[in-house]
Formats: sequence, structure tokens, C-alpha cells
Amino acid sequence: MDSFFEYLSGFFETTVFLYGTSLLVLYAILAVLSFLNIRLFLKKESYTDYSVIVASPLAPGVSVVAPAFNEGVTIISNVRSLLTLDYPKFEIIIINDGSTDDTLQKLVDEFALIKVDYAYDAKLMSKPVRGIYKSTNDAYAKLIVVDKENGKAKADAVNAGINVCSFPYFLCTDVDCILHEATLQKLIKPIMEDDVNRVIATGATLRLSNSCEVDGGVITKIRAPRPLLARFQEMEYIRAFVLGKMGWSYINAVPNVSGGLGMFDKEIAVRAGGYDAASFGEDMELMMRMNRYTRENKIPSAIRYIPITLCWTEGPTTLKIFMRQRTRWGRGLIQLMVAHRKMMFNSRYGRVGMLIFPYNFFFELLAPLVEFLGILYYLYLIFFGNVNWPYAIILLVFVYTYSVMISTLAVLWDQLTFQYYKTWGDVVRICAMVFIEMLIYHPLIVIFALRGYLFFLTNRKHSWGNMQRQGFKQAQPTKVTTPTT
Amino acid sequence: MWSNLTNLIYSAYEQFNYLPLFIEIALAFIFIAIFATLIAYGVILFRRWRGYVDEKRMAFIRPRVEEMITEQVLLNENLEKMQVAEIEFEPAALNDKIYKKEWVRQIIIDILIQYRKNFRGEVGELLRKLYLDMNLTKDSYDKMKSLKWERKIKSVVELTQMDVQISDVTILPLTNSTNPALRAAARNAYIQLSKNEPFKFFDIATEPILPWDQLELFKIITTTKDIAIPNFSRWVSYSTNKSVVSFCLKLIAHYDQQSAIPAVLDLLANKDHYFRADAINCLGKLSAEVAEERLIRIYNTQPLACQLEILKALGRIASGKHLEFLKQEFLYSSNFDIRMNAARSIIKHNTPGSRALIDELKEITHEENRLIISHCQNPLIKY
Repeated sequence: MDSFFEYLSGFFETTVFLYGTSLLVLYAILAVLSFLNIRLFLKKESYTDYSVIVASPLAPGVSVVAPAFNEGVTIISNVRSLLTLDYPKFEIIIINDGSTDDTLQKLVDEFALIKVDYAYDAKLMSKPVRGIYKSTNDAYAKLIVVDKENGKAKADAVNAGINVCSFPYFLCTDVDCILHEATLQKLIKPIMEDDVNRVIATGATLRLSNSCEVDGGVITKIRAPRPLLARFQEMEYIRAFVLGKMGWSYINAVPNVSGGLGMFDKEIAVRAGGYDAASFGEDMELMMRMNRYTRENKIPSAIRYIPITLCWTEGPTTLKIFMRQRTRWGRGLIQLMVAHRKMMFNSRYGRVGMLIFPYNFFFELLAPLVEFLGILYYLYLIFFGNVNWPYAIILLVFVYTYSVMISTLAVLWDQLTFQYYKTWGDVVRICAMVFIEMLIYHPLIVIFALRGYLFFLTNRKHSWGNMQRQGFKQAQPTKVTTPTT
Repeated sequence: MWSNLTNLIYSAYEQFNYLPLFIEIALAFIFIAIFATLIAYGVILFRRWRGYVDEKRMAFIRPRVEEMITEQVLLNENLEKMQVAEIEFEPAALNDKIYKKEWVRQIIIDILIQYRKNFRGEVGELLRKLYLDMNLTKDSYDKMKSLKWERKIKSVVELTQMDVQISDVTILPLTNSTNPALRAAARNAYIQLSKNEPFKFFDIATEPILPWDQLELFKIITTTKDIAIPNFSRWVSYSTNKSVVSFCLKLIAHYDQQSAIPAVLDLLANKDHYFRADAINCLGKLSAEVAEERLIRIYNTQPLACQLEILKALGRIASGKHLEFLKQEFLYSSNFDIRMNAARSIIKHNTPGSRALIDELKEITHEENRLIISHCQNPLIKY
């Protein structure tokens, strides 16, 4: 019995060692790839003149799809913010997902909307649409409001929005996100400059708007979030987008485009079946199905990322809301892995089957489990006095310094791309997160992800909840001195 | 002291050799990680400091350069008195010591380009003369010799903006470069600079003109003065480069080149259905009535994308000869998009006959189709 246990311990230690080493090597490779990709991007950006597309009759049309649920307090400024987008051919589709507040009425009043006879083609499944509204004011001719029954999921609302899209590409965002005015120009470019692959989706970096100054739906001052939890998330976003997704993008293996901001090929999205309202990770699920569709139909395809920030979103600042969000993500991930398990190591799906899927399985899904088991095993060893403390401390320092290095490189890559933070204070605040993230924030993520897995396995009901918006810090009005007489 | 330190290092090294391999690796990585982290912070500090210094430098030099340009060019009193070629600049103003520095010369070039975009005519010419007289062409040409493609692009853009000739031997090979960015810049430059045959590179293009590059090329072609616009059907008929043909179709439609219709019609036999859809779209925009019969003949054999283009084309041509065809498609197609486009095309005719047909359809068709007609007739719904 003892020898069996020793064998098991040895096996566990070796497996975890190999697993950890692979993960660290992978991060190092991603850091190199993302650097190469960012450098290439910056070179191209140095001479790209975006004003050309703004005035071009050849620019492809883009539909901006933004669902809203009980956003009565902020909906008007949100829509006004979207209307500031600078692009020659676009429409904005706001989906009122059965709000129980005055969201719809406010829209109707503010933008002079009337209900129109609209031939709605339900290519994608969603809850019934109650009405479609257009503005009688020419200034808001780009605006369409879809009023539908609540589908209890963002996916359901977006599907209804896609059904109304007139253009070949759609940009999916959350109505409370603040987009850079050049978002459409920047995201359409990777689609228009790939002659080998059909680019089915593009994405850009997201940042948190929590402490930014906003005026009229436009960011006027970018600041690192002041609340600690939000600042941890900002650090995490920088690492995930600038280092992770840019690295994957370099080898055409982006696993996911964020739900906060992504531009998609409508034809492929519709053929793949649109968003799955039953999924807890609907954005990742859609990408997986779009990838699957293109591979099965032998369409050479790509998903591209750009390292600049085009979208600012409000992150959760309370542990309760944060837990709910991460639990849902964890549940979405395991749900996705189970639903598409046939793609695992299936060469028919190319890089998706041989790289993206295994990566997601081993290093995203299993990571919290391995960490949790590792801690349990450690406790067991401590209890029986089997820990070689000098070695254990060396290994802990190794993991810690390595993770600090990777996160610091992510901050560096971000700074190389564009210096969003104008003050040293903001840079220091973000850099400080690098050193304490592993001790405070990371354990939380692991616990919440495991909670999501548990909910999935026990099929527990999950409430979507409503994120309490904190609102934005308004830009200070310029001081006016009264002339003395 | 020194020997103590040496002994310490030696003893640490001896101990290190007795450690298990994975601990040795971990220790090595700890040092690498700490070193890399420190370097990363060093670079962050340096970059921010450098950005600060650059801002300061710009704040210092930019007003000076702008003042010089304003005095020598914009407020030059000789502009109204003599030809641009005869105007001489004040040597003292141009020979300032600071203008010899490479980074300052680059700033001057950038500002001149910016000004040239805003000033045409004689002021624009005088800006160009300033560029030539300050011998800034040398700086631009030097970049062309660089092995870095981004430097080459900068060179091409600068010379083009300043309307300085680049020999065909230099620029033509670049129009077919395998680097898409360099290729696009060279093509844009060639169109603008070549006086005799600005479209010559269409003949030799084996690399594609990417949709993004088409935007700028289209703008240059359609806005550059004194450019001889050829009959683009020549490339539609003979080019083997699909992107060239596709781009030419857009230009044919833009310039309403009716003589190109036969060449475009020939494309309807092409195997690539995206290509056929582009050709049908072009025929519609040309209002090619002659194409109607053929479009209807091939309609049933086409994939959906081409069918939709045919319906749109019939609406654009609006000869009124095929209202019955549109009516049939509207009434009996099971595809929503087909019915929508058929209805739009009937409405687009805007003739007494088409209006009567719409009234008739409203009477005889079912609820969903009536909604489609209302949708298409509503002026608030643009797309």
C-alpha cells in the first residue's frame, strides 16, 4: 500500500513538474511572439493613414450591435457615445432586452424614435421581437432600436441584433462600454489586409474605465483604476490582451475574442448558428463554432488582434460581483470544453484542434484544478513533515519571480505600444500589482473558477445578476476666471 | 577582502553543483527572471524619459521650423511678384546650424509634408522648392537605400508628397514587392509620379492589391489632377491578377466607362462566383441594359450571392422590361433576402408601371411580403 502511495506521489510530482514547466515555457514563447507582433503592428501604424477609409466609398459597412438591459440611467450618454464613431458606413443597433425600467422610453424620447414596419428575418434564434424603432430625426438616421422580450442572456439579445444587421460585418459590444472614435477603422483594417485568410473576427485590447474621466460618453483622461480589485483586473487585461492574444494572433491561433469588443464576419457567424443563449461563455463559444465552421468547410480563416486599446469597460469593484463574473466564466469554459470535445487533438480542425483547444483544456481549464490539488498535496506533505523546506522555498521563489517577469514584460509591451498612462503614478500603480497579484488576486481567480466548475457539475442554476454601475468621473470643467472690472 | 569574496563565490558554486538538477534550473531561472524584470523596468523608465525628452525637443524645435516656413514660404512677398522657380530663400534662414541635425531635418520634412497637404498652387510649389533647396531630397533618398522596409516606405512617401521623381528602375520592382506595405506605398507613388503610364504596374502586378490598399489607390486615382484615365476594361480582359480585375471593376463603375461593358460581360463566365458577383454589381452600376437578358438567363444557375446582385442590378438598370421576373421572384421565392431585394428593385424603378405593380402585390401577397414592401418603401430605413 505504501509503495503504491509512493508511486502515486512520484507520478503526481513528475506530472505537475512537467505541467508547470510547459506552462512557463509557453508563456515565454508567447512573450516573444507578442513582441514580434507588436513590433510589426507599430511599424505598419507609423505610416497608416486612417483618414483614407473615413472618406472612402469602398469602405465595407459595419453594424454596431449593443444590447441593453435596464440601463435607463446611462443609456442616452451610451448611445451618444456610440454615435461619435468615425466611419463612413455604419449603423448602430441597440437591443432593449426586455428592460423593466424606462430604457426604451428614454431612447424614444431622446432620439425621436417611432415604431416602423420592419421586415425582420429571424435567421438566428432569439426571444420574440416586440418592435423596431427608427428616428425621424436625420441626425440619428444610423440608429435602430430593437425592442424584444428578455432572453435572460446577452447572447439572445445579440442574436436579435444580428438579424437586423444590414452590413457584412458587425461589431459586438456592451452598451456601457466606451469605444474609441476610430474603433471601426482600426478593427476593419486587419480584415481588409489579409489576402490569404478570410478574417472572421478581430479584437482589440480592453481596459477598465473605473477611474477614467469621461465627458459626453468620450474618455477625456485615462487613469489606472484606483480600487484595488479593478486595478488587478486592469493588470490581468494587459497581460491577457497585449501579451497573450497578440502572441496567439502572430501564429493565427487566437482562442477567443472578448465579448466587450469584437468585430465579426456576419455571414460566418450566422452560418455557424450565432450566439448560444444557453452558454455561460457565449463569446468564446461563438468563436469556437465559427472556427469549427470554417475548418469543416475548408475556408482558410483567421482571427486577428491589435494591441491598442479601443474599448473601456467598467470592471466589478466588489468581491461579490467579481465572484459572480468569474464563476460564470469558469462555468462557461467547462461547458465549452464538454460541448466541443470532439475537436480535441483533431487534425481536421487544424490549429484550433491541435493547439487552441488543447491549450484551453490543459492550461485554462485544468490550471485551477492542478493548483488546488497541488496545495492539498503540499498541506499533506507539511502535515507529515515531508517537505524539504530550502528546496520548497527555492521553487516558490522561482515561480514567483517568473510570474513577476512575465507580467512586467506585459506592462513593458503595453508601454511600447502606447503610453496610455500619462503620469508616473499610474505606471507605478499598475507595476505594483505585478508583485502582489500572485498572493492576493490569483488565489481568488482559482477559487471562483473552481466554483464555476462545481456549479456546472452540479447543474446549479445561475443568476446573471445585474452589475451595479458606479458611473464615471466627469471631466472637470475648465476654470474660468471672471474678469475684474 | 577580495579573497574572501572569491572564496564565497567558489563555495557557493561548489554547493550549487551538489544540488539536484531541477533546483539548479530553478535557481538559474530565478536569476534570469530577476535580471529580465530589472531590464524591463529599465526600458520602461528609459522609454518614458525618452518620450519626455522628445516632447521637449519637439516643443522647442517645431515652433522654430514653423516660423521659418511661415516667413520663407507663406509670407514670402515675392510669391505674387515672380515665378516660384525664380524665388530665392534667405540663405541665413536656411543655413541655421540646427537644421544640419538629422532629427531636425526629419521634423522639417514632416512639417513640409503636412503643409503640402493643406496648401496647393504656388504656395505648395514653394514648399516643394524649400524642400529641394534645403537638400532634403538627399535625406529621403538615403532612406530608400535602407534594408528596412519601413524606411523605404518613408522614403517613397516623402518623395511622392514632395512630387520628386523616382526612377522607374527603382520604383517599379517595389510595386510588386512581396512585402504588402511596401508594395502598396510604391503603387501609390507610381500612380502619382508617373506622368506617361501611371497604370503600368497593373500589367506586371502578380502580387494582389489588397482591399485596404485599394482604398488609398482609389482615392489617389480619383483625386489626382492631370492623370490620364485609361479604359480599365483592358485589365478586365487580360489581367490574370484577380485583385487587379476586381479593382478595375470598381474604377469602371466609378468612371461610368460604358465601353467596358462587353469586357465585364465576359466575366460572367468566370468560375469564381465572388468575381461574378463583382462583375454583376459593376454592370448594375453602369446601368447596362444590354446585360439584362444575359443576367436573367444565368440567374437560376447562380449561387445566392450572385442572384442577389442580379436582382440589385435589375433595380439599378430599371429598364422596366423585367418587372414580371422581379414579381415572380418576390412572390414565389422562399428566400427572405431574395424577396427583399426583388421588392427593392421593383420600387427602385419608380415608374407608373412599377408603382401599379407594388399596389397589386400588396393586394395579392401574404402578410410577411406586405411587411417587406412597407419596409422597402419606408424612407427612414436606409439599408
